Amino acid sequence: MKSAASVPEAEQSTRPVELARHDEAALLELLETLVQRHGYVPREFSDEVSRLVAVKLERLRRIQAKLDSTIRRDVQQHVARWRNEEGNLIMILHAIQNQHGYVPREVAMELSRELGVKLARIYEVITFYHYFKLQPPGAHNVTVCNGTACYLKGSTDLLNALRTELGVAEGQTTADRQIHLDTVRCIGCCGMAPAVVIDGKTLGHVKVADVSGHLVALKQSNQEARP
Amino acid sequence: MNALTPADLEAIARTPVVDPPEWVRVQLDTGGIAAGAELVYGALAAARTERQLSFALLRAGSVGYSFADPVIEVQDAGMPRVLYGRMNAAVASHLIDEHLLAHRLLDDHIIATRQRGTSLDTAVTHVLVRDTSGEGSRTESLQSAFNAELKRQDLGDRVQVVRALDVGIYEQGAVVQLLPGAVTYANIQEADIALIVRESIAGGRVLENLRWQTPDRQKRIVLRHCGEVDPDSLDDYLRRAAGYQALRRALFEFTPEQVIAEMKTAALRGRGGAGFPTALKWQLTRAQPAPQRYVICNGDEGDPGAFMDRSVLESDPHVVLEGMLIAAYAMGASRGYFYIRAEYPKAVERIERAIGQARERGLLGDNILGRGFAFDAKVRLGAGAFVCGEETALIASIEGRRGSPTPRPPYPSVRGLWGMPTAINNVETLASVPPILRHGGAWFAGHGTPTSRGTKVFAVTGKVRNAQLVEVPMGTTLRQIITDVCGGVADGRELKAVQTGGPSGGVIPVQHLDTPVSYETLQELGSIMGSGGMLVMDKTDSMVDVAKFYLRFCVDESCGKCAPCRIGGYQLLQILERISRGRGSASDVAQIRRICLAMQRASLCGLGQTAPNPVLSTLRYFNDEYKAFIEGGPAYVRKISRTAAPAAKSADEARRVPAAGETASGLLAAKS
Repeated sequence: MKSAASVPEAEQSTRPVELARHDEAALLELLETLVQRHGYVPREFSDEVSRLVAVKLERLRRIQAKLDSTIRRDVQQHVARWRNEEGNLIMILHAIQNQHGYVPREVAMELSRELGVKLARIYEVITFYHYFKLQPPGAHNVTVCNGTACYLKGSTDLLNALRTELGVAEGQTTADRQIHLDTVRCIGCCGMAPAVVIDGKTLGHVKVADVSGHLVALKQSNQEARP
Repeated sequence: MNALTPADLEAIARTPVVDPPEWVRVQLDTGGIAAGAELVYGALAAARTERQLSFALLRAGSVGYSFADPVIEVQDAGMPRVLYGRMNAAVASHLIDEHLLAHRLLDDHIIATRQRGTSLDTAVTHVLVRDTSGEGSRTESLQSAFNAELKRQDLGDRVQVVRALDVGIYEQGAVVQLLPGAVTYANIQEADIALIVRESIAGGRVLENLRWQTPDRQKRIVLRHCGEVDPDSLDDYLRRAAGYQALRRALFEFTPEQVIAEMKTAALRGRGGAGFPTALKWQLTRAQPAPQRYVICNGDEGDPGAFMDRSVLESDPHVVLEGMLIAAYAMGASRGYFYIRAEYPKAVERIERAIGQARERGLLGDNILGRGFAFDAKVRLGAGAFVCGEETALIASIEGRRGSPTPRPPYPSVRGLWGMPTAINNVETLASVPPILRHGGAWFAGHGTPTSRGTKVFAVTGKVRNAQLVEVPMGTTLRQIITDVCGGVADGRELKAVQTGGPSGGVIPVQHLDTPVSYETLQELGSIMGSGGMLVMDKTDSMVDVAKFYLRFCVDESCGKCAPCRIGGYQLLQILERISRGRGSASDVAQIRRICLAMQRASLCGLGQTAPNPVLSTLRYFNDEYKAFIEGGPAYVRKISRTAAPAAKSADEARRVPAAGETASGLLAAKS
């Protein structure tokens, strides 16, 4: 905000905008109006700008503190459950992933403080195991089983069809964070090969022709859920 | 709840199991649930309330008929007990009307019993019919022929003729099974129908020349209670499965040394794949002086296409726990861990519940059955790393570290978990222990071959007609397993090869299918027993592709600690990719062999040592396919990709016609 406080030519003008709302939109609107009118931010408005920035920062700080304390409480709970067990790190990571759907960086950092284990040690374990994710999952998960039975019965074709339909590769989430595509080693439902798991529901004997139908159903359920 | 005493257990053993006269048992394992077993359960419960019926609705694990999931079992007073497969909610509520109210069996869903009878002492009430050639298109005409004949002989209202979904006999023409005696006739001609009705149904005489003489190949020891006991109930296990009687016997009638001696007599070998004698493993662990010993149950079933361990853990968790308790007693261990894949949430849930129940009833704790034996068990989750099936990597993972293997020796039985002696046993191994202790080692050793005793569970999947769990005595041939038990290759195609042992195993071509299954014979063929995945492949499957699939798996799963596995696997995959694009050169095969040898000799653990197996065994038996790719070049690749596509499509269409749910609901719709 240093640039906003740069010294302008003094120019008398009325207040350009109503400053009742202390939010980001107000700040942006103020800056935009000023720049449009003057080409720079005049000095007499810089106080107003910095006040708005302070309000915004205060609010962020409060959210962060609340978040930090939630994270700390959650992590403490997980650790307390496994405190007296040897070799508890993996089980705690499972608990964290069950809660968030992935292992967020802030939580891993808090866990490192709580356990007194170096963050690198924790990441060493997280990155070794396929099961632990570092990215948040999509709203919906589509997982293609790539066990041998499914592979022989055409899981590759299914995966290719899904890739084309969604425009993402396995392990990626669509740009709108709605659908996450992934593969799994084997879900043990070889009697139903090829199998696809959509949001925890296993579909057996899936054909390439069915793929787009399932995706359409997913998107529809999205739209119903939204309003 | 009170702790169990040995007297309680003895009393339970003497009390016969009393079931309610009418019950329906739904098989709720992961496979069944995925196919909709919970919806079926819900529909049955709703229909029971709606029609104010009193039958008991029971839960169980899976009996192993994955091809027919979801499966339910129905017992109705005065009716034969039957298994129904390929259920759905609509069929389930229809079944209540038909079976439990109208006392008629339902068409097209019954899986006939494999326990075939030899006498017709009780009057025949139902006739199951099935045309076993091809897809069974003549079943309906068979049914009407029987109905007409019964009517002609005035038996029409006494006997019901039912179309079966599966009779466990394949490519043997028309097959009928007379219930409740379960006498089974195969290869029936038009003329035999009148004879069967007159002699067997009216007269009660067995026609020996028509009777299907081939005995059931299966012998269920590990799976004997799967699909029968409620996996969520300790009481059910105690009563129905003589639960914890083996533990009582071990604690009160045997010293730990005698338990090991009994295991030695049984000659049980590790069912995880390597086949190390279990008794020896326990003995070595016991012999090591230490303040603490551990026993670990390896439930990290990472082979793609294998689900034996999941099924046992889900269907009969207490038997695994009991096996672990006996193992712990034999080697003087006081702590145990179940290491189970996180991808198997149902198995984890059920084993945790079993542990909780056992703790509550004093079967885990400081003074088990008042015998002063202390033991406690815990669950640890795997996190999707195939290498963690390897002993030392598994231990590292339980300790909360990366699952990288360490060189052996020292073996885990000397220095394992937290530096203490540790025995690691597979799920199936532990599940075999209670029956051995109950019936004796000699009884167990009576099954199988001289070097490989007992039975083995296989998960037969791939291009097979009926994908299912099979438990056979060692020494059964591969062909018997695939054609007799599982019905051969689907869609009438030709069998090409069988892959056993997952990514560490190899392919066995069709000319070696008459090999009896044992640790040694499979090894001679360039494969391994493995944990029991058995993948059937037909003529349309490219072996180069299969080798590439398994190799890519191993490359993905390599932990990267040792160079032969990390680099060798990657280079091998590059060469295979090149060959399958038609860009291979004549020197590639020799190069493949060199890399494979280096990996086998120099890798740190079993993953790297066995990763070349699928490549080497396909090279050994299907060298021609590699040659065709190398010599044919890109033109050959284009040619086969053109021919493969329409073939796959027509297979898809062929599969559409008899698809499970469709015909069932279609028939139902036509009926109602």
